[in-house]
Amino acid sequence: MASKPVQTPKFIVRALLIGAIVIALAVLPAFIDSYTLRIATGALMWAGLACAWNIVGGYAGYISFGHSAFFGIGAYTTAILMQSDFGASFFVTLLPAIILSIAVAVVIGGPTMRLRGAYFAIATWAFAEMLMQLVTVLDFTGGTAGLSLPAYLNEFFFYYTMLIAAAASFVGVWLLIEHSRFGFRIKALRDDEPAAESLGIRTNLVKVQSFALSAAITALFGSIYAYWTTYIDPHSVMGPQITDQMVVMVLLGGLGTIWGPALGGVLLWITNRYIWSTFGDTVIYLPILGVIIALVVLFLPNGLISLLVGRQRGKELISNILRKF
Amino acid sequence: MSSASSNAKSPGHPPLAIESVAKHFGGITAVDGVSLSADAGEVVGVIGPNGSGKSTLFNLAAGGLKPDAGKVRLQGIDVTGWPTWKIARTGISRTFQIPSLFINMTVRDNLLAAAVEGDWQRARDRMEDALEMLEISHVVDNLATELSGGQQKLVEFGRVCMRDPKVILLDEVTAGVHPNIRQIILGAIQRLRKTGITFLVIEHDMEMVKEICDRLVVMDQGKIVAEGDFETIANDTNVRKAYLGRT
Ligand SMILES: Nc1ncnc2c1ncn2[C@@H]1O[C@H](COP(=O)(O)OP(=O)(O)OP(=O)(O)O)[C@@H](O)[C@H]1O
Ligand SMILES: [Mg+2]
Repeated sequence: MASKPVQTPKFIVRALLIGAIVIALAVLPAFIDSYTLRIATGALMWAGLACAWNIVGGYAGYISFGHSAFFGIGAYTTAILMQSDFGASFFVTLLPAIILSIAVAVVIGGPTMRLRGAYFAIATWAFAEMLMQLVTVLDFTGGTAGLSLPAYLNEFFFYYTMLIAAAASFVGVWLLIEHSRFGFRIKALRDDEPAAESLGIRTNLVKVQSFALSAAITALFGSIYAYWTTYIDPHSVMGPQITDQMVVMVLLGGLGTIWGPALGGVLLWITNRYIWSTFGDTVIYLPILGVIIALVVLFLPNGLISLLVGRQRGKELISNILRKF
Repeated sequence: MSSASSNAKSPGHPPLAIESVAKHFGGITAVDGVSLSADAGEVVGVIGPNGSGKSTLFNLAAGGLKPDAGKVRLQGIDVTGWPTWKIARTGISRTFQIPSLFINMTVRDNLLAAAVEGDWQRARDRMEDALEMLEISHVVDNLATELSGGQQKLVEFGRVCMRDPKVILLDEVTAGVHPNIRQIILGAIQRLRKTGITFLVIEHDMEMVKEICDRLVVMDQGKIVAEGDFETIANDTNVRKAYLGRT
């Protein structure tokens, strides 16, 4: 048959759907109160974070339990550079945040991603723990007291900044992984590393590239988050609950899919806020995360997105990744 | 280390030359000083009883394992100790004894993935050619897991073709496949060898060996115990000993 995909109707439906989502998101702030706007801003952030984690966890198949470290690196870099000693403006802090996160990802991922997935999982987890302890004792990070940032009291600014960052992450992943050579490299090494190598793919390099990309996006959201909340401390931006949420959002939505993490991120964040506003607390949220993981892995290995778009790929994805352990 | 691309063609050098390679696993000597070279367009059969070191030899040639001793040369380039991806880019491509398709990907994506480090511009055209030659066009949008065992072997063969290699190593590519599929594979080998591609094939099926191999190499306990054309090998006492002595 022809080498071009001849799926015009499907393509048009998809383009219309995406267009509708973009317009809806762009005009949303005009129709909601500021409390709901905050939830929406958070939902965008978590959708973007899930999208970021999915690059290394879902596409490369290397499970990171340390993404909170990158979120924290972004948050602290922005917070520190915006203190009066430096007085940097917000957007100027993004570049060093991203560069630092990439450097750390290369240092952590370089040696450990050559090994089985379990080594990487443990190394990322241990590093995140260590970094959180470190910012707790250091002076320039504010210790346990944390850091305050200059307030910028415009909720719309943060909504649109998160929207642009989330959209850019999503489009970036879509272009890079679903529509470029890089995507073939990364998915090939996830499915069968020796086979990928035998086809000339430099798997160790591609793995670290995917980790660095994932880390950079995570740090970007950490930066925006710090400016948004105007106050950060070690637990709020480096606590393990950040990684936990990212992992569960991706599993819930659909590991290694383009839409799944965004869906999982939005749904789970709304659930989180609902529980918080109903019970005044999020203690029961953690057990709920646990139950969701168990249910998804057992009954819906391709995540919620598989209910919407039907078959996209094999059921073997999770077991394939676990096999790397 | 600049000659990773496949353009270093020196006419005097065979596409593949394995020189006294050895590999030990703990106490086991899996490959014990094997030398073997193959010319352009030649099909060399590697046979021998189970555990005689055939697959290990392929791994040493393609870089999946590093030899403890000896050298591997591709078109005269010493690739010993190079990482697998770099050896692959030098012009060698192989199939695996155990199925190794990208199981979460379609047939199309499996084939395209094989071209990412090669001629990406023409990848789709070449994919059509491979699909047609291997008669798997009708399953191009199927997931790898939705294929029969024989079709999986065909796709793996197709992936190798997409690399546009000088040397192809086939590890039991016809084992357990339907005779029709075996015929397709056989035809593809015949066709590709005419373009100058060198084949090393591990085969247990003697009919197949007889039909396609110019020359046979018999391994036993990590060593080459006999070498020659099919008739010579069939009447060789060492070969009989290797096969009958332990089965
Ligand atoms: N990774 C490994 N670790 C330890 N021992 C190995 C490894 N790979 C192969 N061996 C051993 O090396 C010897 C040769 O194995 P190899 O797979 O090369 O044989 P083969 O000729 O391909 O056999 P078969 O016909 O069964 O495929 C065997 O004794 C095997 O157990
Ligand atoms: Mg073998």
